[in-house]
Amino acid sequence: MVANYLIGLREGLEAALVVGILVAYLVKSGRRDLLPQVWLGVGLAVVVSLGFGAALTYGPQCLTFTAQEAIGGTLSIAAVGLVTWMIFWMGRTARHLRADLQHKLDDAISAGRWAVLVMALLAVGREGLETALFLWAAASATGSSTRPLVGAALGLGTALVLGWLIYRGALRLNLRVFFAWTGIFLIVVAGGVLAYGVHDLQEAGILPGLTNLAFDVSAAVPPSSWYGTLLKGVFNFSPATTWLELIVWVAYVSVTLTLFVRSVWFNHPAPRPAAQLHPAT
Amino acid sequence: MPAPRTRAVVAATALLATLVACTPNDTSTPDGTSGAATLTVDSSADACVLSGDTAPSGNVVFEVTNSGDEVTEFYLLAEDGLQILSEVENIGPGITRDLVLVARPGSYQTACKPGMVGEGIRADFTVTDSGAQVGPTGAVADQLEVATTNYVAYVKDQTEQLLTATEAFAASYTAGDDDAARAAYAPTRVHWERIEPVAESFGDLDPRMDLREADVEAGAEWTGWHLLEKDLWAPVAADNGGAEYVPLTPEQRSTYAAQLVADTQELYDRVHSDEFTLTADQIGNGAKSLLDEVATGKVTGEEEAWSHTDLWDFQANVDGAKVGYAGLRDVVAAKDADLAATLDERFEQVQALLDAQRVGDGFALYTDLTEDEIKALAASVDALGEPLSRLTSAVVL
Repeated sequence: MVANYLIGLREGLEAALVVGILVAYLVKSGRRDLLPQVWLGVGLAVVVSLGFGAALTYGPQCLTFTAQEAIGGTLSIAAVGLVTWMIFWMGRTARHLRADLQHKLDDAISAGRWAVLVMALLAVGREGLETALFLWAAASATGSSTRPLVGAALGLGTALVLGWLIYRGALRLNLRVFFAWTGIFLIVVAGGVLAYGVHDLQEAGILPGLTNLAFDVSAAVPPSSWYGTLLKGVFNFSPATTWLELIVWVAYVSVTLTLFVRSVWFNHPAPRPAAQLHPAT
Repeated sequence: MPAPRTRAVVAATALLATLVACTPNDTSTPDGTSGAATLTVDSSADACVLSGDTAPSGNVVFEVTNSGDEVTEFYLLAEDGLQILSEVENIGPGITRDLVLVARPGSYQTACKPGMVGEGIRADFTVTDSGAQVGPTGAVADQLEVATTNYVAYVKDQTEQLLTATEAFAASYTAGDDDAARAAYAPTRVHWERIEPVAESFGDLDPRMDLREADVEAGAEWTGWHLLEKDLWAPVAADNGGAEYVPLTPEQRSTYAAQLVADTQELYDRVHSDEFTLTADQIGNGAKSLLDEVATGKVTGEEEAWSHTDLWDFQANVDGAKVGYAGLRDVVAAKDADLAATLDERFEQVQALLDAQRVGDGFALYTDLTEDEIKALAASVDALGEPLSRLTSAVVL
């Protein structure tokens, strides 16, 4: 029961946090008009994942292991691109607020619409397939015991509640603080997602070095423990991390964090993320 | 994030999902002759119990049940215990999850990882050869089946034409009708050159039939096409390493010609036996090796050192490669459209250059080509050889 609960919690946490922050951001910056895109993205991801999971469970097995890992890895890396974009998008808003240019919030509304939808889609869909497969397996076990399914559902429910609490808490923060800290938080999350994607590609044999571990603290942080689960769910922390994962994580976090802190906290000219359509005026 | 890029990501993902082979989930026939071989795995806190340690090659299903109280994972690893062939994670207590894969014969390791840590509880696992084809299934397999059948038919047809033409050539040559023999030489060899990789796969025939003088090992007897070629286009002493060329006697002519016909008959018989089959990867590799032949022999003018009919061979090698590629083209186009487009284009480029050298029913002699023409031909061959070297993996993987 507890183990299945923790799986559900782990798989649901990251999605709940990212979506919670996204919604909080939209509400705070007066962009409620974009909320339907968020829920559309979330809905799409859930439907597609469950559909795919059912097809794989009950239909022909159409995904080889390598393909499944390759898709997971690719989606992770795409998700990182989007979250990074979101961080700087928020950062820009923060600077506008400081300069009291709130009316000039964001010109890139059309890009924003799409990006918000896809971001929600990826945040939920990235682990959606694995979660769906796990849920279907838990559902098939209900013949002998309903506890696995109940545990998994409770875990997912807890993740949703945590996401909602983050959202409520974020609303209470003053804007400056909200932007500054959620940005940093998201950078660490995105770094974890990127490392996780790299690990997927290593498992698929697309990238080398699966067995070259930088550190292994499995003894101190068992992945099956509640704290191991939280670390994995929120930051994608893996107790046994390969060198390549570590290098990618450090490279991403150090570069992004530097740029973010410089632009948002010290009001340097914002770095122009590559995926930006319109210049900030 | 511009919308087009977003769509591209989604499209790429969808594409990824469609480019993977299917393995049936049908586990109703556990005997392994059809459907899938099914093994149960019981992963508990300190044990990993499989219902067996072997399975026949083909579709294999591991039904992994977690009877412990911690989350477990199940892996199938390569023999080295490092490379992951397939895995299933997040098997919570009380849950059963399936690991389904297409297994090739060989040695493997299985591992359960209760608590998701460490090396896991390992055991050796063997996949025996069931004789079932492990490879593409469904539409692709059918296409490859058609391609190989057609190519085998092509090889048979070429050996038939080769045998008939060789008999006629040998008759003229033995009778001393050198003009007729010279006229028949290149058009006859075309049938050989088109299927050269197949002929070369019979290691004893190829050296007897198609060895160039330069490649004859010391002490070995030189026989075959190029011996007769030299006799028909007898070189002057200056071109023969300073030695006066001694023509073959009528007895020698008759002996060597008869042997060439007998060897050709042998090639014909082997290709027409029931045992003669080819696989898609042999056809793909054969197409590539035909181009290698062109690059190393025909473009340099070394193949037909006395008759200088290299362009006939060149065209025949390209023909053979084109036939092999044509049979596989649908599969390539479905899997790698860019590669198919590149190959189409490069075949056309080579053909255009060859067509420019046509004279009557045949081609210009190699010695009539200019330095630039030879360079252009060589470049076009290299340009075709590179994508052709990717043909096999595009088809088979």
